[in-house]
Amino acid sequence: MNKPIRETPGSFRSARPYLLLLPAFLCLAAFTYWPMLQVLLASLSDKKRVGDSGTFVGVENYFRIFQDAHFLGALANNALYAAGTVIPSVLFGFLFALGLRETTNLSSILRSVLFFPTLVPLVGAAAVFIFVFMPDIGLLDYYLAKLGVSATNWLGNPDLALVSLMALTTWKNAGYYMLFFLAGLQGVPQDAEEAAKIEGANWLQRLYFVIIPMLGPTFAFVMVIALISAVSQIDHVIVMTDGGPNNSTSLLLYYIYQQAHEFYDLGKATAATVVTLIALLTLSFLSMRTVERKVHYET
Amino acid sequence: MFIRSAVGALCAGLIASSAVAAERIEFMFPAPVQGKLSREMQKLVKEFNSSQDGVEVVGVFTGSYDDTKVKSQAAAEAGKPPAVVLMSANFATELAMNDLIVPIKELAGDTDLDGLMQEFWPAVRPNAYFNGDVYSIPFQNSTPILYYNKEHFKEAGITKAPETWAEWVDAAKKLTKPEGERWGIMMPSNYDYNGWLVQALTMANGGQFYNNVYPGEIFYDHASTQGALKFWRDFAHQHKAMPTGVTNSKQVSTSFFSGKASMIVLSTGALTFVRENAKFDYDVAFMPRNIRNSVPIGGASLVSFKGTTDAQKKGAWEFISWLTSPEKIGHWSRFTGYFAPRQTAYDLPEMKKFTAEHPDALRAVEQLAYAGPWIATYNTVAVRKAVEDEMQALLSDPELTFREAAARAQKNADAVLAPYAEQTALTLK
Repeated sequence: MNKPIRETPGSFRSARPYLLLLPAFLCLAAFTYWPMLQVLLASLSDKKRVGDSGTFVGVENYFRIFQDAHFLGALANNALYAAGTVIPSVLFGFLFALGLRETTNLSSILRSVLFFPTLVPLVGAAAVFIFVFMPDIGLLDYYLAKLGVSATNWLGNPDLALVSLMALTTWKNAGYYMLFFLAGLQGVPQDAEEAAKIEGANWLQRLYFVIIPMLGPTFAFVMVIALISAVSQIDHVIVMTDGGPNNSTSLLLYYIYQQAHEFYDLGKATAATVVTLIALLTLSFLSMRTVERKVHYET
Repeated sequence: MFIRSAVGALCAGLIASSAVAAERIEFMFPAPVQGKLSREMQKLVKEFNSSQDGVEVVGVFTGSYDDTKVKSQAAAEAGKPPAVVLMSANFATELAMNDLIVPIKELAGDTDLDGLMQEFWPAVRPNAYFNGDVYSIPFQNSTPILYYNKEHFKEAGITKAPETWAEWVDAAKKLTKPEGERWGIMMPSNYDYNGWLVQALTMANGGQFYNNVYPGEIFYDHASTQGALKFWRDFAHQHKAMPTGVTNSKQVSTSFFSGKASMIVLSTGALTFVRENAKFDYDVAFMPRNIRNSVPIGGASLVSFKGTTDAQKKGAWEFISWLTSPEKIGHWSRFTGYFAPRQTAYDLPEMKKFTAEHPDALRAVEQLAYAGPWIATYNTVAVRKAVEDEMQALLSDPELTFREAAARAQKNADAVLAPYAEQTALTLK
């Protein structure tokens, strides 16, 4: 048996973890940190198009976007859209998981049916939903007409267009979040539930005092990914509304795309990107914190 | 950045070393009307490739007009400029201004381009020129046109297509059935189509819409445009002859085919599409006038991006010449409904035969006598969107006044144009 070599600082041994981290770090640096830095630098310059040299102008672009009604509109739209997609899709995902907790033949089929929308690419789903929302001859109006509701211009009315997009997103994501909650429910210990039962707790009480606290980490995680998808997905906006009518469905990412590629204003686009990133990080941090307070971790 | 240029150099090296094969060039094209067009375009590309062995064109379908502009610019920024792009006719100006496309004389060698342009209709020429040079060759052109359901007209006791705005409103009211059962008139108000039709109505109202000499001026807050905004808005809110809110071109054509709309305004580029899908007796007519008969040109022209090799330029010109020859440009016109921008296409026997069978195909050509160029300014899309946002708001919100909308459109467009004006009209040249 060899005697173990005494570790000295600077030897290969102590550098090893860093060496193991290096490949991942290099990928992250090349495809995340470096571009982020580039965006930050571009947001402080007067670049108009990709490839411009641009000179340093400080925080002028940030003043410009906060004076731009279209940016403020996109910010407000995105806040509404986030609330209107995160809450219902997480809630439905949770309820589906509760209802389909027991594995039976029927519940397997229902789980597949509810999960199916997740597998449809967003672009495809958007193309289909254009026809769902077609006034008068679309699927939705066809069934509403049977209930005596007259034709509605879902995507052409500034008050309804964003709500229509929220409905599509909720339809598409709820089944996906259901999976996380199903997995989370597997982890709820039987003895805790049984103990509650013996204590005479009814179904609602068991849900409130045992199941929901146990699912804390799941809620935290699902909320954060739902929030990120509310900001990072704009395929349906491009396919269905182009941000219209009158910018009522213009979300942050769409605004950024438009400023950068259609209006030759890279300064505004990059400043808006930085603001969006900061907002996302802040929200993720807050939602993690709030839910963690209610989290029960096995010790 | 340096990786990208290294890859580019490597690719260039590879291409140079394999110069035995045909010169490959990329051709980006949109299809704003319907899916059939992109299939036919790929067929044409195939036909060209098999007709000779010096050039091999790779056709890439790039979606809508606006998308095509974004994608071709992105390709150029990534160091892969497309040799040929079918570009919305009014974008050539700003692409030339931003030094992204080359004047056609760089491709065409000693071809007399001014002489060639004489073969094209006068109305399509202004959008092809910038600073006295030809920057684009028109390929498929259109004007807005009124399609109407003759059976509905008969039923409503209307004997002829409306020629003036007053007659148009009257007909729309007569044709409308309450409760949304049938609309007298529908017009697409989605982005791009929207601005084109606001311009058409403004021109019919005696307006210039934009300064077609100096690309830094737009006339939104002027009586002619205000009247156009008001006229369109009133169809929805005052006459109740048009659905409120935004309706896109797909909704408009679908409503026409299903008999839910008696009159629609669409591009002549949709003519074949309408002919194949309208299962009733329909006809087309000029856009009605208020002050004068006048419409903007629409459609697309062929441009070539800066930064291609000489061999690619030569290949691009070969392909452009072939595609815009009277035979091919005429074939495309018959297939789609766009009018052929090259007048000589109409002298060919197969075109004469076709127009005799389908007189509706001539309506757009007749309307050309009253056509003018399409809005082309510094940063066209942003300038156009300023009025489109307001038009969409007017159609959605009955409380908004046309004066308020016109003033706001002007303010937003002026803000977009300001940097250009600073460097040009407000500076000693």
